[in-house]
Amino acid sequence: MPAVIYIEHDGTQHQVEVPDGDSVMQGAVNNMVNGVAGECGGGLACATCHCYVDEAWMDRVGTATGAESEMLEATFSERKPTSRLGCQIAVSEALDGLVVRLPETQY
Amino acid sequence: MAGTAQAGVAAPIPDHVPPELVYDARITEGAEFLAAPHKFMAELHQKAPPIFFSPGSEHQKPAWQLLKYEDAYFVLRHPEFFTSAGSGPFPRDPNDWWNIIPLEIEPPHHRKYRAIVDPLVSPKTVMTLELSIRKLANDLIDQFIDKGECEFAKDFGRPLPVGVFLDIMSLPRSMMDEFVRWAMGLLHAQDRQIAQQVMGEVTVYLNTVIREKAAHPDGGAVSAIVHGKPGGEPMSGREIFGFVFFLFIAGLDTVFATLNNIFVWLAENPERRQEIIDSPGNIDNIVEELLRVFSVTFSGRTLTQDYEIRGVKMKKGDRVTSILPSCNYDPEIFPDPTDVNFNRPRKPILAFAGGVHSCMGAHLARMEVKICLQEFLRRIPNFTLKPGTRIEYYPGGVVGPKSVPLAWR
Repeated sequence: MPAVIYIEHDGTQHQVEVPDGDSVMQGAVNNMVNGVAGECGGGLACATCHCYVDEAWMDRVGTATGAESEMLEATFSERKPTSRLGCQIAVSEALDGLVVRLPETQY
Repeated sequence: MAGTAQAGVAAPIPDHVPPELVYDARITEGAEFLAAPHKFMAELHQKAPPIFFSPGSEHQKPAWQLLKYEDAYFVLRHPEFFTSAGSGPFPRDPNDWWNIIPLEIEPPHHRKYRAIVDPLVSPKTVMTLELSIRKLANDLIDQFIDKGECEFAKDFGRPLPVGVFLDIMSLPRSMMDEFVRWAMGLLHAQDRQIAQQVMGEVTVYLNTVIREKAAHPDGGAVSAIVHGKPGGEPMSGREIFGFVFFLFIAGLDTVFATLNNIFVWLAENPERRQEIIDSPGNIDNIVEELLRVFSVTFSGRTLTQDYEIRGVKMKKGDRVTSILPSCNYDPEIFPDPTDVNFNRPRKPILAFAGGVHSCMGAHLARMEVKICLQEFLRRIPNFTLKPGTRIEYYPGGVVGPKSVPLAWR
């Protein structure tokens, strides 16, 4: 299973195995990783799974577009060029080892 | 609710429920609960097993009850095992059934329905509503500030969310008094005849509005629903009604109860009121913490298959209720859970449930609570409960006081 490394705002690191096809948000909430709320369950409706993708992974993950980009305009923590919503990133073998940093708060 | 067992005639406990897990907490209706509901729900962690079976009553069906944050978090996020189909707590005629939409629709169809209204309450849209909500709050305060007193629930807690709701639905503010009366009659009259009569009035009105919006589309939620095509197909009249009705119920009572709970506490805790006034930059943490300790609702589900949690074997068809206010007092997740601590490390709260059926108005509700705290405390920083006030709570599935008489100089 591909691994995703979540780094909380205070530096706490979680390496989580996430089933192929699950989202970065699901990987966090199913393993009680602090810092991702994922309140709406992946419906692109709440902007509470905001994360910052590590620079080194941006070319593989890509930037936010369309409805996701619009939703990111209303996140609680600052939007950066590496901002994504975790529910919109599908984990795969190609993303094995993905590093995402989590904002201090989601709302 | 119709046709359930008479009071005192308990339904038999199913054979698979171990006797030691049967606990009759009488949540939402017992005298001990009604005396101090949030204290009661916090203390359940010391009194009851983490998963217990409530034998039910005249008003409630027998169901498993979940107290632990982690259990509710799991149940809410697994609709494939715990379905919300048929779980809506409103009386409906089984021979003339309509679904409460989108609550009672499950994935994959659920999202098609919810996508119709999500944009109207998205975080971004809610930001654009801030000024008009702030103005409404101040207009309401204008009406009573010079009197030195108000009945907060009636004069502010009720009209504020009703006004915001009317705006989002694109219904005229002139309907305010009518909606306030309907909300009270339907949700809190404690009288079946009144509730049924009001339900009739609401049905006639909503159906008229639905016809109007069909002919004259606008930017509001009723129009979005009437013209919405989940999966490319127009909805039936019954679906449209179930959808509009659900927004009516969901939008009116929960913020009302939350504000009333908060303002009782503020009236009784002058030093905490001052703390809020003195820390404007911490307002979002303050709102979140108050939503944690004054959560007002429960989430009901039904098992689609046998399932075991914490060694408790539940059967397909069993009902499962997450006692969300208790989950928000889980000492494993929120240490010293009854302390109202505005600097608590942040964890997602369950006030708005979670998963696909999480509250679609969560961002709006947070904004409303924030604005009410800011504007009321800015203009009326010192107030008390009127001398001699005894706070009484409504029985039923939305936890809040009946009236909140406030006084100030």
